[in-house]
Amino acid sequence: MKIAVTAWGNRVSPVFDSARTLLIAGIENKSVSHTTYVSFHPGDIQGLSVLLKRLGVPILICGAISTSPAEALTENRIKLISFVSGNALEILATFARRNAIDTVHMMPGSPLR
Amino acid sequence: MDKSKIFGPLSQDTTKIILDSISDGVFTIDYNWEITSFNRAAEEITGISRKEAIGRHCWEVFRSNMCEEDCALKRTMEEGKPFISTSAYIINTQQKKIPITAATSLLIDKNGDVIGGVETFRDHSLEEALRHELTREVQVEDIVSTSSAMKNIFNILPQISDSDASVLIEGETGTGKELMARAIHNLSPRKDHPFIAINCGALPDTLLESELFGYKKGAFTHAVKDKPGQFALAEGGTVFLDEIGDTSPAFQVRLLRVLQEHEYTPLGGIAKEKTNVRIIAATNRDLSAMVESNSFRQDLYYRINVIRICLPPLRQRMEDIPPLTDRFISKLNLRQNKFIQGIDQEVLAALMSHEFPGNIRELENIIEHAFVLCPEGYINTTHLPGFLAFTPAPRHQPDTDPVRTAQIKVIKDALARNNGNRNAAARDLGIHKSTLFRRIKKLGIRP
Repeated sequence: MKIAVTAWGNRVSPVFDSARTLLIAGIENKSVSHTTYVSFHPGDIQGLSVLLKRLGVPILICGAISTSPAEALTENRIKLISFVSGNALEILATFARRNAIDTVHMMPGSPLR
Repeated sequence: MDKSKIFGPLSQDTTKIILDSISDGVFTIDYNWEITSFNRAAEEITGISRKEAIGRHCWEVFRSNMCEEDCALKRTMEEGKPFISTSAYIINTQQKKIPITAATSLLIDKNGDVIGGVETFRDHSLEEALRHELTREVQVEDIVSTSSAMKNIFNILPQISDSDASVLIEGETGTGKELMARAIHNLSPRKDHPFIAINCGALPDTLLESELFGYKKGAFTHAVKDKPGQFALAEGGTVFLDEIGDTSPAFQVRLLRVLQEHEYTPLGGIAKEKTNVRIIAATNRDLSAMVESNSFRQDLYYRINVIRICLPPLRQRMEDIPPLTDRFISKLNLRQNKFIQGIDQEVLAALMSHEFPGNIRELENIIEHAFVLCPEGYINTTHLPGFLAFTPAPRHQPDTDPVRTAQIKVIKDALARNNGNRNAAARDLGIHKSTLFRRIKKLGIRP
């Protein structure tokens, strides 16, 4: 399985709507097997959805996201885990192991917290 | 260390009282980018409580589009100088984009040592909503406009479309007469039948007649079989006759008969054929003046002029240039698989200073020219056609203070709704009458 994270350096990008880079991680045997980076444009959700599907990525982890792209991604059958914050690789490792995000990695005031 | 205790006991209380009493959001950070104070307005604007915010990284709480690439606070900390009025947005806990302006400065303690940074931010949601209301573009079918003249036309378009009356569309070349005719057709009960457009000015008389009414076998040398005309092909739908002012008197007589009797005779035919089409005519000429000078039949003029729509030239609705430009760029991006983001301010100024004798068609051509030359990002003046690239200062300046304009409009509308009664208008707006009086005075609104 593959998971995408909007990346800002080694962190999760704080705002999806202005993010530019995706960290794509391959998950095998409950751990991250490989990672790669790709650019994307957050204003083009259709293009992002096509890109994620082409790469075989069903899950996107991101920071704060406004309603419109969040709904559009969900409509395009991308599972969205938003309002996540912290070290992207740590978060991916946890997710690979437990299929969940630690509450410590959720943003304050997260609507999903 | 308790980061909320960076101030002394007395100054901390005093500062908290002051910060909580102002309507701008304020937060401070230390050198680890962790929030050390967070005022009440910041709680309200972000939706995050002070308790949750303090100790967290500022980007986790502030969540602005500036955080990643253009953090004003980072620039302040690096360069040691304040920045003011940076426009941005944040995403609050309701996942709403909140438009803000932000200002940053260094946080200095009583000894003059830099201990972090401070960011103040103002919620502009209300102003944005007002601005949006004021400049809201209206789209009817393929026509986009923010101008009041066009909005007035849009308002009556449903009634015009519902009726079966003939329509005369007047407007300079390139003002979108055919688009308007198509919009009327597409909104009408005839929308499932054909829309056929004929440029009367492009065809000589005999060809125009055979084109519109068709011909019978043997009508002329090469008429080897019957050919239906556009009236027959458009049965049940709409025929759009562009450049009606360019038709000959003889053709005008034949067209008048169709309009009066709803029947016509194909070229070379004997029997009359019934027709059920709606006629929409258009011209860039002054038909009433042509009637005066006997170059256009008065009876036909009255037949086609049951409903008249006058499309204003682009120079009289310059506010439509930004939405039209956006629309053309979006269409071209889609068609040519590029991602041009828009035009820069200098291009907008150049466009606003142009007279546009060719109207919207000319604007579309200019944008297409620039689009071809612009590889990515924003179109700048080097991408414009030569005649526009070095245009001097704009003749029409876009509204320099749309917020003020919006406020004036809201207050004037409230006063109009309440027959000029200021107390009633204040109640209507949900503000105290003294606030309304103060704003009327400040904005210079006259009764």
